[in-house]
Amino acid sequence: MLNLIRCEFWKLKRKMFVQMVLAASFLFPLPLTAIICYLNIVQDKYSTKEAAFDALWQSVIGFGMLLLLPCILGIIAALLFFMERDNDTFKNLRTIPVTSSQMVIAKCIVLLLLSIVFCVSSTVASVLSGFAFFGASDILFKVLFSAVYGLLIAISALPLVLLIIFFSRSYIFSIMLCVFYSVFNLFSTFSLTALPKWLVFTLPAPSIMLWGTQQTASRIAVNDTEDFRNFIEMGLIPSTSQLILTLGVIGAVSLLLAVWLYKKRSE
Amino acid sequence: MSDYIIETYDLTKKYGSQTSVSHLNIHVRKGRIYGLLGRNGAGKTTAMRMLLGLTAPTSGEVKIFGRPFLENQKKILPRIGCLIESPGFYPNLTGTENLKIFAALRGLKNPDYIKNALELVNLPYRDKKLFSQYSLGMKQRLAIALAVMHNPELLILDEPINGLDPIGIAEMRGFIRELCDTGGKTILISSHILSEISLLADDVGIIDHGKLLEEESLKELEAKNTKFIHFCVSDARKAAQIIAMAFQSRNIRFADANNLYLYDTALPVAKINCTLVEAGIDVQEARLCEDTLEDYFRKITGGEGIA
Repeated sequence: MLNLIRCEFWKLKRKMFVQMVLAASFLFPLPLTAIICYLNIVQDKYSTKEAAFDALWQSVIGFGMLLLLPCILGIIAALLFFMERDNDTFKNLRTIPVTSSQMVIAKCIVLLLLSIVFCVSSTVASVLSGFAFFGASDILFKVLFSAVYGLLIAISALPLVLLIIFFSRSYIFSIMLCVFYSVFNLFSTFSLTALPKWLVFTLPAPSIMLWGTQQTASRIAVNDTEDFRNFIEMGLIPSTSQLILTLGVIGAVSLLLAVWLYKKRSE
Repeated sequence: MSDYIIETYDLTKKYGSQTSVSHLNIHVRKGRIYGLLGRNGAGKTTAMRMLLGLTAPTSGEVKIFGRPFLENQKKILPRIGCLIESPGFYPNLTGTENLKIFAALRGLKNPDYIKNALELVNLPYRDKKLFSQYSLGMKQRLAIALAVMHNPELLILDEPINGLDPIGIAEMRGFIRELCDTGGKTILISSHILSEISLLADDVGIIDHGKLLEEESLKELEAKNTKFIHFCVSDARKAAQIIAMAFQSRNIRFADANNLYLYDTALPVAKINCTLVEAGIDVQEARLCEDTLEDYFRKITGGEGIA
């Protein structure tokens, strides 16, 4: 399996999109730093420099990881999963023999690793910005927690991977699907209080956001304290076991269906 | 143990109501080149895909190296090298990088495997040219390199000369022959080009509309070809009577008033010629003819010829 994963990375060589994504993860915190700086100077919004840095990190999580990353992962998934179909390399792999399930699992692990790299590099870029403009604190915790975010977001993007394999259309269609998925996540996050509790617990992106905010609340200054208090009062914050169960079921079902579909499509 | 490397038993593939391969029984002998000959759409590629497990058969069984293929895929496939349909590689990588991926997946750690395979097909090692910039011939050669890289005992090559120029075809023919003769490999090769099969194969299977019509060695097939002496004369009917009387042969067929075919090829042509001239018949032409493999193919498929 390690060989397969390594080969999946080799296949991405000279793929500009992947290189751009990794560069974007590093550059994305820059405009957010500018916004936080502006809010700090003009509105004097943050009491301490550490609070300003925490606000920056939370913005990076909200916009970069929770909103943008699933969309990026979907596009990379399309690149990875259409690669064998478009280049007619499936027969070469099958006659080695590499099975469809091995291929799907290897590609999903690549997605997961890229997701973690994206989140960690976003946090590292935030820390560098923090050092330059604010005061960075609790760095190790933030880096490690961003890796956890990367893992959880990658699992939450598996239904998107399944949809991409299911429709198995062009790249443009897949990109549209990814954008739709991200917009859906955004709307569901903004309308959490209006949604039934079971739906909030079932939707992966809002669950990750709420769980993550609670886990980090004791160590950072939370941006929207009032909203967060509301969510706690309404019992919308999932526990760790609830989140693991939700993501575990979504991930396992998506992965199994993806393997089945990929095998079927390849014949 | 059977001497056959590949055996199929009533191998059938149906797509809905359409039968692509029907009750195929082929037998590929060890250390020989087996040519699967058929028109486009005859079912050659489907048959080969079934042999490699790329397409599941509707019914029937495949045995490779004497073992049932389905139950022993994992053990059998690493002993096979193949080229099925068009060459499939990653366009953003070079030839060497492409082979490196497949070598890694096959567990071939020594880079010499890649280097030797590329050398065999006259492609440069560690060249900077991307696969997307390769010509059709180069792509085909890279696919052959991939097929032979891991030194397999059996090669399954589907139309390997597609896209090659005449010199490339001749080189490829020599290369495949050498793999069999000196490398001791068993090779199953498909083609719709009859001359290629007749120049390369030891055994021939003729497939048409998914059915195997004939399976014999090339020598046996050539022996089956009809031989005759063609006479172009001033009066074919009179010439036939003279030949029948003087040489006791009735194995004669008229084509028209001036052309006749004598199927007793053992008879002395020069003597017949003299006898006819002495009888006042002008002989414009007398030559020994033989049906080509194409004529035979046309005869057994009951229709059009082949390229």
